[in-house]
Amino acid sequence: MTISKLLVANRGEIAARVLRTAKARGLATVVLRHVAEQEGPAHLIADEVAMIDGPTPVAAYLDISQIVAAAKKIGADAVHPGYGFLSENAGFVAALEEAGVTFVGPTSQAIDLMGDKVRARAFVEERGFPVAPSAIEDDDPATFVDRARAVGYPLLIKPSAGGGGKGMRVVREDSALETEIETARREGERYFGDGRLFVERYIESPRHIEVQVMGDGQGNVVHFWERECSIQRRFQKIIEETPSPALSPEQRQEICETAAGIARAVKYRGAGTVEFIYARDGAFYFLEMNTRLQVEHPVTEMVTGFDLVAEQLRIAAGEGLSAVQADIPQTGHSIELRICAEDATADFRPAIGDILLLDEPQGEGVRVDSGILDGGKVTTDFDPMLSKLIVHGRDRAQAIARARNAVQNYVILGVTTNTGYLDAILSHPDFASGDVSTGFLAEQSEMLTAPGEDVSDLLMAAAALSDDRLVSDVMQIPKMHRKMGGWRN
Amino acid sequence: MQRIFQIDGEETECWLGHDGSRFVLNTPDGTVACQLDPTGLPGGYTLRAKGVVRELRLAVGPEATFVHMDGRTYGVGRVDPAERLAGRDGGASDDRLVAPMPGVVVSVAVKPGDTVEEGQPLLVIESMKLETTLTAPRDGVVAEMPFAEGDSFGLKDILAQLAPEEE
Repeated sequence: MTISKLLVANRGEIAARVLRTAKARGLATVVLRHVAEQEGPAHLIADEVAMIDGPTPVAAYLDISQIVAAAKKIGADAVHPGYGFLSENAGFVAALEEAGVTFVGPTSQAIDLMGDKVRARAFVEERGFPVAPSAIEDDDPATFVDRARAVGYPLLIKPSAGGGGKGMRVVREDSALETEIETARREGERYFGDGRLFVERYIESPRHIEVQVMGDGQGNVVHFWERECSIQRRFQKIIEETPSPALSPEQRQEICETAAGIARAVKYRGAGTVEFIYARDGAFYFLEMNTRLQVEHPVTEMVTGFDLVAEQLRIAAGEGLSAVQADIPQTGHSIELRICAEDATADFRPAIGDILLLDEPQGEGVRVDSGILDGGKVTTDFDPMLSKLIVHGRDRAQAIARARNAVQNYVILGVTTNTGYLDAILSHPDFASGDVSTGFLAEQSEMLTAPGEDVSDLLMAAAALSDDRLVSDVMQIPKMHRKMGGWRN
Repeated sequence: MQRIFQIDGEETECWLGHDGSRFVLNTPDGTVACQLDPTGLPGGYTLRAKGVVRELRLAVGPEATFVHMDGRTYGVGRVDPAERLAGRDGGASDDRLVAPMPGVVVSVAVKPGDTVEEGQPLLVIESMKLETTLTAPRDGVVAEMPFAEGDSFGLKDILAQLAPEEE
């Protein structure tokens, strides 16, 4: 099943990134665009653009029948889903199969199994891999609250069908348990159309460490080492890096081999990520497996030298893995920063606006996976992530220095972004020492969003002198009166 | 000529003049002689003010000027005092809750005529996949709840209105 024409069923930076590799491999390329959507970098890279429509832009990207029809119409023989949207939708995979179009990703069975958090946990636990203590509502809904209580506090409520932190609730006191269960159920129903829940022991001050795996669907699986993703806000990752500063070489070997073992157990095909909670005592527990390419996959590419999208396309075309485990190095250190349109000083409220000036950083060890163009418009139609800044250095200190330099020189004017916040994280002593947990951003929020040096006078002078109307008004005043400032009414 | 500049929510009223050889910005804290020259880069300028020289990148939007300086990005809101006097810039008020972003109403906890206390939940909204409970900004009586459960609203729509306070 050779692939000659690829439809990328996604948008933004990931669509652009997948298209680049596909073109380099000589494929004809197509990307989607919603009728009301701004032109992005992906639309300039793709050979063709397929327009889609829907009640909202997001709904269009989730519309299986419309996208499958678009693939057929344009003659695409394969679809790459990117991340998010339909990337982990077994129904989408089945619909493509029926239409005779190759899905660049795992089988619908693997998506089904790993997409159901509860079944995935049970599967992993049965095969002897480590999971945290838990209670599953479906086992016996009538006793769920009591069994949740028995897991012990603090505990974490999660929607069975969830992901990305949506609907997750930490409960520390028994008095809050039942209300939080109801809230989580409501959120689960709304986001995932499924209100079933499970709870598990909440590990205090954990790290989030995940492992990139790749399988050929025949039982051959390799790992591409770990990524540390502990810098999170409300379960959303902000900064990711590899290698993890927490792991000894032995622990690294153990956690990576565990991940590969889990993927091997499902005869996994394509790119996947096994996520773990890593406790302060060094114990680690299976959290979930994401059956897609992750947002943060570039850090893995930077240290291994592999193009993970190229690997995905090889496997989808039946060419198998390009490397054995011993050929996959982990060289130097890489950090990714997620550049988001949001106001860190106003509770991370999503920001909108026109991009009036865009100048992205360049330089040795600097990579920008961007989803925006100069002159574009940022709306709330989609996720607030605009682009990703990825750096590589010979060691962690050099990677941090390069990341700071690059983020400081990332010029996006016209919409508020989190670049200053990201720089504040990078300059924090605990980040420098690598001593962080998933609670770091919440614990340090005051320090990380503290205002910098007061430069108001300089800013006001710049704003006044670049205000053409103001300047021309001033120059029209007869000379002798111009300096009579302070005279009011 | 006057401007009100807004930086991090703080407003400063300034007056720009020219003394024949250079611009002078009068702020409540004093007088700043200043000069802005293009560098040739897109949006690139050299700013000379308060005895310092800064390279910056700058873009002028309809309501705010954006400045990238010393590795940080700032937004400076601009208000023409004449427009403010004419009431055209919309002002904040503790009588109403204004949507901080577009979203959907999840549930409504009060109705017009209800007496509420500061901090009491009025409605739950969902924006950017996040539920937020909006609470009364002060003690008072609910005048209007324009949106019902399930309704969509836009940025800056009024989500709840309290009756004016009686003196």
